[in-house]
Amino acid sequence: MKDTLRWSYAINAWNLRMDVFVRHEEQQRALKTLSVLGFDHVELASGMGGRWENLGTPEIILINHGSAEGLLAFLRRAGISGVSSWCWDPGQPAEETGYAFLMTRNPADHDAIVEAAKPFVDLLAAAGGDQLVVRPAGSAWMAPPLGDGDAGIVGSLWNRVGEVAAAAGVGVSLHYDCLQPFHTEEQLVSLLDATDPALVGLALDTAELTIGGIDPVAFYDAHHGRVAHVQLKDTRFQDAGQEYLTPGAEATMLKGGAGRRIERWFYELGTEGGLVDVEAFVASLRAHGYGGWVVVEGDKGGNATEVAMLNSWFLQRRLGVEKV
Amino acid sequence: MATKWSYMDHWVTETPQGPLPPSFNRTYMDRYVKQLSALGFQGFDTFFFYLPMLQGMYGSVPAFEHFLQDNGFEKITGIFSAYPYATKHTAPHVRETHDRIVADCEYTLRGIEGLAGVENFIVMPSSTDWQTEPVTDDKIKIMADLWNRVGRITLEHGLKTTCHFEFWGAIRTRPQLELFFEHTDPEYVYFFCDTAQHTIAGVDPVQMFRDYKDRCTGFHFKDTKNVDTTGMYRTAPDPELMAPDVERWFYPMGEGGLVDFPSLMKEIVASGYDGWLTVEHDKAELGGGTYAEATCLAKWYIDNVLAEAQREAEAAL
Amino acid sequence: MDHWRSNSPSGPIDQWRSRRTMTRFLRQVAAVGFDAIDTFDFRYWQILEQYGSVANYQEFVQEQGLERIVNTFHGVYYEPDRYAPEVPETHATIVEDFKVTMDRWSGIQLDNVIVMPGSRFYDDHGPTDDQLKHAADVWAKVGEVTQQYGVNLTCHHEHYAGIRNRRQIDTFYAYADPRYVKFFVDTAQHCIADVDPVDVYEAHHERVTGFHFKDTRNKDVNEDYKLFPDAEVSAVTTEKWFYEMGTAEGLVDFERMMRSVRDHGYEGWISVEHDKADKLGGDYAESTAISRWYAKNVLDGIYAGAGA
Repeated sequence: MKDTLRWSYAINAWNLRMDVFVRHEEQQRALKTLSVLGFDHVELASGMGGRWENLGTPEIILINHGSAEGLLAFLRRAGISGVSSWCWDPGQPAEETGYAFLMTRNPADHDAIVEAAKPFVDLLAAAGGDQLVVRPAGSAWMAPPLGDGDAGIVGSLWNRVGEVAAAAGVGVSLHYDCLQPFHTEEQLVSLLDATDPALVGLALDTAELTIGGIDPVAFYDAHHGRVAHVQLKDTRFQDAGQEYLTPGAEATMLKGGAGRRIERWFYELGTEGGLVDVEAFVASLRAHGYGGWVVVEGDKGGNATEVAMLNSWFLQRRLGVEKV
Repeated sequence: MATKWSYMDHWVTETPQGPLPPSFNRTYMDRYVKQLSALGFQGFDTFFFYLPMLQGMYGSVPAFEHFLQDNGFEKITGIFSAYPYATKHTAPHVRETHDRIVADCEYTLRGIEGLAGVENFIVMPSSTDWQTEPVTDDKIKIMADLWNRVGRITLEHGLKTTCHFEFWGAIRTRPQLELFFEHTDPEYVYFFCDTAQHTIAGVDPVQMFRDYKDRCTGFHFKDTKNVDTTGMYRTAPDPELMAPDVERWFYPMGEGGLVDFPSLMKEIVASGYDGWLTVEHDKAELGGGTYAEATCLAKWYIDNVLAEAQREAEAAL
Repeated sequence: MDHWRSNSPSGPIDQWRSRRTMTRFLRQVAAVGFDAIDTFDFRYWQILEQYGSVANYQEFVQEQGLERIVNTFHGVYYEPDRYAPEVPETHATIVEDFKVTMDRWSGIQLDNVIVMPGSRFYDDHGPTDDQLKHAADVWAKVGEVTQQYGVNLTCHHEHYAGIRNRRQIDTFYAYADPRYVKFFVDTAQHCIADVDPVDVYEAHHERVTGFHFKDTRNKDVNEDYKLFPDAEVSAVTTEKWFYEMGTAEGLVDFERMMRSVRDHGYEGWISVEHDKADKLGGDYAESTAISRWYAKNVLDGIYAGAGA
């Protein structure tokens, strides 16, 4: 995209389940799709690890492509010039780490998390990426309510990871999602306050904040100095109260397994009934001179190609962004 | 003999979030079970990693089994466990990781407590060949030691540890298979015959059954159209989905594949085998298929082609 | 070219299901960088029902970021008793049909009305020379009608149609008045019928008014064209005939085609067509994006290199 903002697209939209999006031909088709839609950078995302995470975990990427340069050459074949960022959830058990169930709220796990972050940081830095986008803490329903010390504990971990990343020239940003425990604006700010602004920023996800009951435009206006990364997507729903605390909220809430039975939460930009004021949000980014990446996401939205095309249409026709 | 058919759980269905396993939510899982029920399957095999999801959707794994029984199933028949990708934590050919693998298996056994009687604890006895190379006799013996240990434990819970060999695993050729079975205790380690996997590896599944029928506790009835003659089993990181010349290895029965299912059926009848027969569809959606359609066609094949082979074999007894 | 399918809660649908699904379709086509769309003229009734008029529909298309509707495809089931280009007794009906058709589409300015110029022949012989001449005659009469509206009558040769091989095509155009009967090159259809699309274009380039750029991986070597009712869906060994440009194992040499298009100074529209893209696990949205990627990254450069 030709713009003063830097635009990227999240490739995880194609990685619907564990045994798809594995062959290089499939990945080339997705990359060509993004290229012709005007995107020239992608955001990677880690998963459960193992032999099928070809664009997800460092070990498997290196088996596939040999080096960061090999990965970039693979992307360039389709006209994608680089990696903007990499999403990583240390609480997601992965095969390479023996399915360890690491919890950022448990100080005893911090050394292991810092170690586990290093391969991501190293490969991301070598590939010229900007941000390691991390899930700050596991889902709220899986642990007791936040105590007074939790923000400090979690913040201290991410400061440590931030130091490791900064040494490699990469930033760390904490991704707000609607299930993690720093849920309210007050809780989120308390976590940010517990981190060093020089090392750790916020990855602001417009749909996730909206679901969590926080207005992304107002929040950005108030806290733009801490926002190091943006993920742009829309939603048609808000958490009706405390749905995020429902046991198994990943399925019971976000796949409609219980409660209101909402089976799809995330939508393309400009969706009918969308709750995110995308135009106002992007205008605010411009007004504050935002210099990070804006990653458009289409995950959990059905046909990844169709959603990517509609997202690109919105950028071109509603935001006035010209394609590369 | 009355054959008993079970279904191995790889199902994918359309959801508002794209094509996903029916564990998407309880409604989708219920629909899936009803579809299998309509076809007359009586047994249900699943993966170890689905157990927590079943517990979440139905309250407990036994409650899910009750739902199966309400829909005409007899029970959950098999649990599949595997370490396809070797890591420093888990690799069957590395003895130092065995305690961890045994602990994992014990954890899985706790996850199925209270069920009516799972019969098979199905395992991939090795990780990928390319990570195990060189595949030496010693490594095969190390793997045999592991499954002897696991087999003794599962048997205490009433399950037979039974080995399912991938074409891309480290135990794939006929001599490797023979060596592995030679070093495993027939009391603790059994044979699970996947017709397509053996065929791809250049091993005749019918002959394997003939030779190891006394240790055979189950089958995956699925087909293939390719024998790996160019060493694709060594493709890193994964030969199953990334083989250079074959995008899709597995096909349902009756679609012009290489496996001679009627001959296998006749061997099964002749042997007096009275365990479960299992239909598996792995990656049925590749090339535009659906799991629902593939499952219907498989059951049609069972009820027509295999039933005829069975009648012929019974008449010859 | 309008063959789209997408998934919906009630199964696969085309974009004409509703104005909402049409909006999504048009936005996707616009987003990847296409400038216009083609359609079928049997959509006329849906256009009236959903948009009120053809002009309104074009306005709707423009609101989503596309310039206009360029071509419409006039598909008719030919029957010797009623409506067949090779049968002079039916010509009055055919000409009358186009008077009605052109009136219906007169609210917008099309470039082409595309027709299949010959009936199906399921035997070895195909149409006789006389029959080709009759077909040429009627399309010239129709062309006169369409040109009153500033629209070309242009002929699209299916691999299974009556005018399919090179001899039939050349004979047909030898009889057909070049002022009124134009030629629409479909790269895949010609390739399947063992007609080199570049050669046939070069032989007739002066009357070419459009292209369907699509690929195939198979030629018809089993005389599939004789299959009833339609070789496109009933061929025994080829389940899917058509693929997007840039597909692996594609038989069409698009780079050579584009060089030829450039060298002959063609400045009209080139249409991308995906016909039955959803077969064997394919996806219209993805095929549309991949073909536009190929056009942008491979073909545009060739065309821009004119005179180089």
